[in-house]
Amino acid sequence: MGENKSETGLLVYIIPFLAIVPLMQNQGWESSDSAILIVAVPFVTFPVILVAGQLYNGHETWKDKLKEGGILALGALGTSLMAAVWLVYDYFDELPDFGDQHSIVQWLEWVSFDLLQSDYTLTSSKNILGVGVWVDSITLMLLFVATFLCFLICWFSLGYMNTDPINEDRNHRFYGEFVLFALGMFGMVLADNFLWLFIFWEIMGLCSYLLIGFYYWKESAAYAAKKAFLTTRVGDVFLMVGLFILYDIYGSLEFSVIFHDPSLHGTVDSTQLFWALLMMFIGAVGKSAQFPLHVWLPDAMEGPTPVSALIHAATMVNAGLYLVARMVPFVDVGHHGVPGLEDLGLIVAYVGGITAFMAAAIAFVQNDIKKVLAYSTMSQLAYIFTGLGSALWFYNNDEHHAAVVVFGASMFHLFNHAMAKGMLFMASGSVIHEVHHAHDHMHHGKDGEHGHDFDPQDMRNMGGLASKMPVTATAMMFGSMSIIGIPLIGGFWSKEGIIAETWLAALEHEPLMIGPAILVLLTAGMTGFYMSRMWFMTFAGEPKNEVVNHVHEETPWIKEPLIILTVITAFGGFAFALLGATDYLSSAYDYSGHLHLKKSTLLDSIIYKLEYAFLPENQNLRVIGWITILLSFIAGPIFAARVHGGELSAGESASPAVSWLVSLSGKFGSQDVTSLSESDLAEALENRLYFDDIYEGVLAKTVVPFAAFTAWFDRNVIDGVIKQIESNSVSGSLQVRALTTGSARDYILMTAVGMLSIIVLVWGIS
Amino acid sequence: MISLGQLALDSDTAFTLLPELVMLSGLLAIILIPNLGDASFRIPLTNLRVPILIGGSRFEATNDPRMPNRIATLAFSVAFAASLLMIDSSSEEVGGMLRSDAFSRLFSAMFIGALLLVSAASTHRIPAKQNARAPTDHDSEATASRKISILMDNRRQVDFYILLIMVGLGMSLMAMSTNLFMLVVCIELASLSTYVLVAFHKEEDVGGEAGAKYFIVGSAASAVGIYGMSLLYLWSGDLALESLATKWAEMEGIDPFAAFGVGLMMVAFGFKVSAAPFHLAAPDAYSGASSPISGLLATASKAMGFVALFRVLVMITVPDYGEQAPWFLMLAIIAVITMSWGNLAALTSENPKRMLAYSSVAHAGYMLAAISVIGSGLAGEEGTRLILIAITFHLAVLVLFKMGAFLVLSLLETDGSGHRMEDLHGLGKREPLIAGSMFLFMLSLAGVPPLSGFLSKLLMVNGIVSSSAGTGNSSATDVYSWMDTVDPVFWLAAAIVVNSALSLFYYLRLSLVMFFEEPASSSRLKSASSLRMAIMACAILTVLCGIGPVSEWLVSLVSTSIDSLVG
Repeated sequence: MGENKSETGLLVYIIPFLAIVPLMQNQGWESSDSAILIVAVPFVTFPVILVAGQLYNGHETWKDKLKEGGILALGALGTSLMAAVWLVYDYFDELPDFGDQHSIVQWLEWVSFDLLQSDYTLTSSKNILGVGVWVDSITLMLLFVATFLCFLICWFSLGYMNTDPINEDRNHRFYGEFVLFALGMFGMVLADNFLWLFIFWEIMGLCSYLLIGFYYWKESAAYAAKKAFLTTRVGDVFLMVGLFILYDIYGSLEFSVIFHDPSLHGTVDSTQLFWALLMMFIGAVGKSAQFPLHVWLPDAMEGPTPVSALIHAATMVNAGLYLVARMVPFVDVGHHGVPGLEDLGLIVAYVGGITAFMAAAIAFVQNDIKKVLAYSTMSQLAYIFTGLGSALWFYNNDEHHAAVVVFGASMFHLFNHAMAKGMLFMASGSVIHEVHHAHDHMHHGKDGEHGHDFDPQDMRNMGGLASKMPVTATAMMFGSMSIIGIPLIGGFWSKEGIIAETWLAALEHEPLMIGPAILVLLTAGMTGFYMSRMWFMTFAGEPKNEVVNHVHEETPWIKEPLIILTVITAFGGFAFALLGATDYLSSAYDYSGHLHLKKSTLLDSIIYKLEYAFLPENQNLRVIGWITILLSFIAGPIFAARVHGGELSAGESASPAVSWLVSLSGKFGSQDVTSLSESDLAEALENRLYFDDIYEGVLAKTVVPFAAFTAWFDRNVIDGVIKQIESNSVSGSLQVRALTTGSARDYILMTAVGMLSIIVLVWGIS
Repeated sequence: MISLGQLALDSDTAFTLLPELVMLSGLLAIILIPNLGDASFRIPLTNLRVPILIGGSRFEATNDPRMPNRIATLAFSVAFAASLLMIDSSSEEVGGMLRSDAFSRLFSAMFIGALLLVSAASTHRIPAKQNARAPTDHDSEATASRKISILMDNRRQVDFYILLIMVGLGMSLMAMSTNLFMLVVCIELASLSTYVLVAFHKEEDVGGEAGAKYFIVGSAASAVGIYGMSLLYLWSGDLALESLATKWAEMEGIDPFAAFGVGLMMVAFGFKVSAAPFHLAAPDAYSGASSPISGLLATASKAMGFVALFRVLVMITVPDYGEQAPWFLMLAIIAVITMSWGNLAALTSENPKRMLAYSSVAHAGYMLAAISVIGSGLAGEEGTRLILIAITFHLAVLVLFKMGAFLVLSLLETDGSGHRMEDLHGLGKREPLIAGSMFLFMLSLAGVPPLSGFLSKLLMVNGIVSSSAGTGNSSATDVYSWMDTVDPVFWLAAAIVVNSALSLFYYLRLSLVMFFEEPASSSRLKSASSLRMAIMACAILTVLCGIGPVSEWLVSLVSTSIDSLVG
């Protein structure tokens, strides 16, 4: 297979790409100028990959040296990453002052319409087509997350996609669309107005459709792609309506115009604004797969695994969160916000709470390793929504301190989740890939016997992989710990903050907040269970299928991103948290600097952080914090270990940390859950609580007849009119052309007729 | 008035006329250089021989059949650059009948630019080959006829490029004319040369016939126009544009002499811009001529007609704000008929050249509609300026995409095809880059953003709408009551929009067959490097002039030149 030979030499080919940014720096560009490269280089690269792929398909150099475009994609994303890092580096300490922000650079202005100045023209919308770069701490964080993860996922894809014969000669499509997808996210994060945000948002929608349906000949993949596209479209329509209302209020969609004074000196009607924001929120719900528009996300697993990683960690789903985070200035009553929008915060928090709980519950019964991760994504995003909802509520009630804390925690959770989930998906991809290969290897040429009913994604076919795939097992362990929120690991810091502040809102301010508060607390324990369950089922215990014994972890390109992300997840989250990541992330909307640089020295700050996480001054919060730790750290995992844990089979050994965990999991004894797994509830969960069925039933009764009617209308009425126009035009055309006889005499006659008509007309006037 | 002798002595004047002088020297060079030879004159009683260069056996290098093309291209390039650099706010009188200012220089740059493209394209369209041999008795019939056609092409190189330069001189001087008489003489200089160019391939029936028809109808129109001019002279006693304008402004009521004079001149200019019903010879001429020449007719020649219209309608007879010019209604009617006729006829044309010819008629209609709004008296000074900028911008970018489309057809013609829609079938597979450019040209002709054709059309429609929309009832609550009150001029804009929608059909049909039909042959077209380069340049500029800094530069250039016309 040639998989084993080192291919790092191919990285030579990305050097020209990586030279772009230093070259520009040499030319005296500022980092803000080079921000255009983040979008422009992928934008140029993606058509090149697609076209070159068509032209050179199967060509040796294209296939072996350029990995069917993968190297080009990697280079382009590398350039984006470098430019993004440069931007982050430059602006990290010099964020523009809150409330006085403007775009740091303007890229494009439609041809200036100065000429057209007049009351009836396009002048008033002059700026609507411009696009520039907007920088604050949220932008920087998301930009880094997106560029960094896209780069790593692309790296991973080189191993994952190019060694699978099913993808052969089609990978250029994958890489081209991958790059377009990535640039959609980069552009959306950078855009300095809602219109361009929406445009890039839609680019992502398109690419999600294309990539989920990458295996379009599989009916399920085609169906999943359609489902994802249509479901997010529902949200997009609402988002569009929201933007219309917003434009109606402010006469502009530029951040700098709107955020300068969202209340317009107190004249904005809060009801109107509420509806605008609610509509935009529904758009975010669709994009981030929250209840009730969540149905597309699990099906989206039909795409190749790197696509899942891309959608779940680096791009798509974060877009919705980003949009909601951008709503803060509207509600921040301490700073020109509009009062009376508490309900928005409540709605966001409730949607988050319900989704978190529901998704975690469904994840209990999933046996497909990627499906578990999909529901976990939904659930974790829901945490962030809950946090943002509380933040919006606090901001709107001028509880500034709490608002800033929970906002920062939410944003930090986004960061942690993206890093961990990106790595988890790649690790699951690694598992699937190797199991699939082992299976192919075993049953080489005997497809008829086992080939069809073997599912390499089914965890019931795994078990005991810890010794076979040490890197993957370690990576997944840390990723799961971060998602669960094991103390001191990445996700702990942010999740703790979200849960505690939601409870704070419920206990001390708004009784209605108790709903989301309870739900997210329960979910913490459930997360502990289903993530541990996934890990134990896959890596611990004895192999449940002989295939496992043939698994080897040796595909190139796959390990490196896993290791990098493991390090970030294991130590990065801890370090960032202690260094004040939450404060930094909330600084975008912390105009009075409540938290920023509160502690004089680094050590003080670290001690404060630790103390605040484990022993906050507020007694209620302290209790909640410990309950969370208890549920997620102790109760969930132990229960999972009892059900699915177990020692490895004799003679197998894993790396130290992993083997300790595996043997620990075998110590809790085992528990039989057959009766539970056969209950009605389990069946309902397996059927995803029947949401898909209900939606399909409703659609079949309403949309399908309506679609049939519009198809009829289109065919007969609209096409009929067009065809009538066409045939009339054609007959008119023939008549007119008959006048062109080809005889010069007739032409002169017509000239004379024209002359006479002119004379008559002039006569009539004078 | 100063005499021509004085003109040549004055170096300032010579500088002012630099582009024209460059072309004139090119003309002389084309005549002289191929005739250089080694003849010498022996000084009597000595053995000293003084070379006199004319006569004897010709030098190999200068007698190269490709020489005229090179000289003409060089002359056009220099003249083009000179014209472009001379577009500034200065204004120089020359000899009492010519004035070099930003307006005239912009147009001469446009004309010469178009001629430069024609000249570059003709390198391959009318190729000159070295080492051409006369056919011998051993040759088969086909070989013999091919050799003869090569010899003929070689022989007529000089004629072709002399005519091209004559067109350039006529057009360029025409743009500078400040006297109606001079204007008409220059138009005729350019026109007569184009008649010959249309009929240039006299061995083909269609070329000769087209040229003859174009000449006959053109002469008839010119005759009527010159009669109209003589009526104007009877009325005013002077043909200088300024004195005509003063006289018109002082006129009480409307003098029949003046009105008929202007009306009849419309016939001549209407023929030049191919306005209905004077356009009928145009499709024949376009399809009969070689494609670069058709492109010349569709761009430079049309622009010439519009300069003439600007001079007469805008400089002499522009009405005061609120008054209607006598020609307003006439021009509006002609405009609507022209655009509808052009688009309808193009709809079913099976010959791409005829289709482009009709599309060119339609474009004339759009621009005439815009001019007629100036005559409606609604535009005011600012509105007039806007509309003139829009039309001039449109004429300038037409040189890019209309000419570009004809150049693509030229490329097909070098292989002997390009007269039928089938010749374009599958061009996307044979020549992706060329087909892509053609697609761009079609989109730009249709006015699709962000191409330059869109911007120019937008500027025009905006000019019309902003002049007329103010007349609508501003307190109207619904569309219908507003429509009742708005001035009918508004409907001219609507006519443009409806016609654009109609035109999209045939532009896209052409694009469709390029990409979705199977080609009859899969061979690539001739390599014709300079022609391809010209096509690429047109395609790139078509995009650049639609959006971004280049378009802004061009708009500001045009607005400078319009300031020098009306300001």
